[in-house]
Amino acid sequence: MIKKTFKIPDMTCSNCAMKLESLEDDLEGVKEINASYHRLEMVIEYDESKLTDEQIISAVKKKGYKAVAAG
Amino acid sequence: MPSKQKTPAINPVIVVALGILFIAVALILLLVQPNTQSLDFNTDSGTWSQLVVAFITGITTGGLSCLAVQGGLLASSLAHQIEQDYAEQAANKKQKAPVRANSAFPIFLFLVAKIIAYTLLGALLGWLGSYLTLSPMTRAMLMIAIGIFMIGNALRMFNVHPIFRYFSIEPPKFITRYIRRTAKGTDTFTPLFLGALTVFIPCGVTQAMMATALGTGSIATGAALMFAFTLGTSPVFFIVAYLTTELGSRLEKFFMRFVAVVVLILGFVTLDGGLNVLGSPLSLQNLTRNLLPSNSTSAPAADSPQPAAVEGEITLQVENSGYFPTTLKAPADKALTLNLITNETYSCARDFVIPALSFYQLLPDTGTVQVNIPAQEKGSTLFFTCSMGMYTGQIVFE
Repeated sequence: MIKKTFKIPDMTCSNCAMKLESLEDDLEGVKEINASYHRLEMVIEYDESKLTDEQIISAVKKKGYKAVAAG
Repeated sequence: MPSKQKTPAINPVIVVALGILFIAVALILLLVQPNTQSLDFNTDSGTWSQLVVAFITGITTGGLSCLAVQGGLLASSLAHQIEQDYAEQAANKKQKAPVRANSAFPIFLFLVAKIIAYTLLGALLGWLGSYLTLSPMTRAMLMIAIGIFMIGNALRMFNVHPIFRYFSIEPPKFITRYIRRTAKGTDTFTPLFLGALTVFIPCGVTQAMMATALGTGSIATGAALMFAFTLGTSPVFFIVAYLTTELGSRLEKFFMRFVAVVVLILGFVTLDGGLNVLGSPLSLQNLTRNLLPSNSTSAPAADSPQPAAVEGEITLQVENSGYFPTTLKAPADKALTLNLITNETYSCARDFVIPALSFYQLLPDTGTVQVNIPAQEKGSTLFFTCSMGMYTGQIVFE
């Protein structure tokens, strides 16, 4: 399991964070997602053997947002 | 993409039981409320205008704002199939979301539950507010705080500075996670249940209205305010949710600035009301009154030409539309009596406040109340206002 932060610059309200956290239910290999509208970021803890950065970015895009890996 | 399905960690029966307990506690509090004044529904024009504003705010900005926040939740509560249709539509952006013929009833249930839940929340906030409105000073501070909150939220919507994002309250993660997973249910109970749970994910405009309900300091008025607002949000919510679930995100972007402008204006009005109740010369009404002197000014009491005038007394007519004259002139360095005359006055002008003297009294709807004004220095001004900061005036000592 690794923990990674993605910047989500186009969040507009706290509901966006809720939408992004719903990826917990959609993506295989995700343990936990903490999204924050205040910080415009999403911290995702996942199994890197089951999920790649590209898959995460693509899933975020389908929710209507742009994700950029931070750090 | 592989997907996984989780079930709610908490049994819905437990949550419903907690909800019933919450309602029961709220009703008990309402019945055993020692401050019986907080139970009274103020039928004055100020309260009615507040309710009308709440309804209009709901039907215009509130409906769209709530839809943007809660629309996806409603859509997912209708049926798991619609959720799948929605996801497919997101993948194929050009296709329109199918409208299910049987979606009207679940939306109706969702909205009924939402109205009931927000009305109860309004009652609870009004009850809490009744303990915060012990003095006009407390009310003023609360109004100023509410105004700042609303202005901060509007500036957040305008994306003025990242700091304003902190004016948006993020619900605790366990609540959003629970709501999200419950939304996967398919029975008719689910929309009813989720409608009630929307109290935990209010949109920005709703949060502002909740703050206003807190400021009413009355269980009945707080409940009526939230009822009027939520009722106002319902038509837009229903129509748009019924037609398509996809439109929510588009409306959110399209109307964001319009919503922000309305919240900004309401914020400044509330802040100004708070400054009035505080007796601040910096409120818009007090500033403009001195910059643009009106002809609604009385002569000094000592040599007043009014036939009924008595030396050492000044008279103020308290009417439904405010105070007349708005500027009274009085001799300095001399104690005097202020006669407050009401004649079938039912507006909030009856809730008379002189902040600098810590004077507050609910005047009779018809009659005269005398207020002793201690000697004031030459050139000083005493501001007076209604307890909501809507109607104002001043006494200038010369």
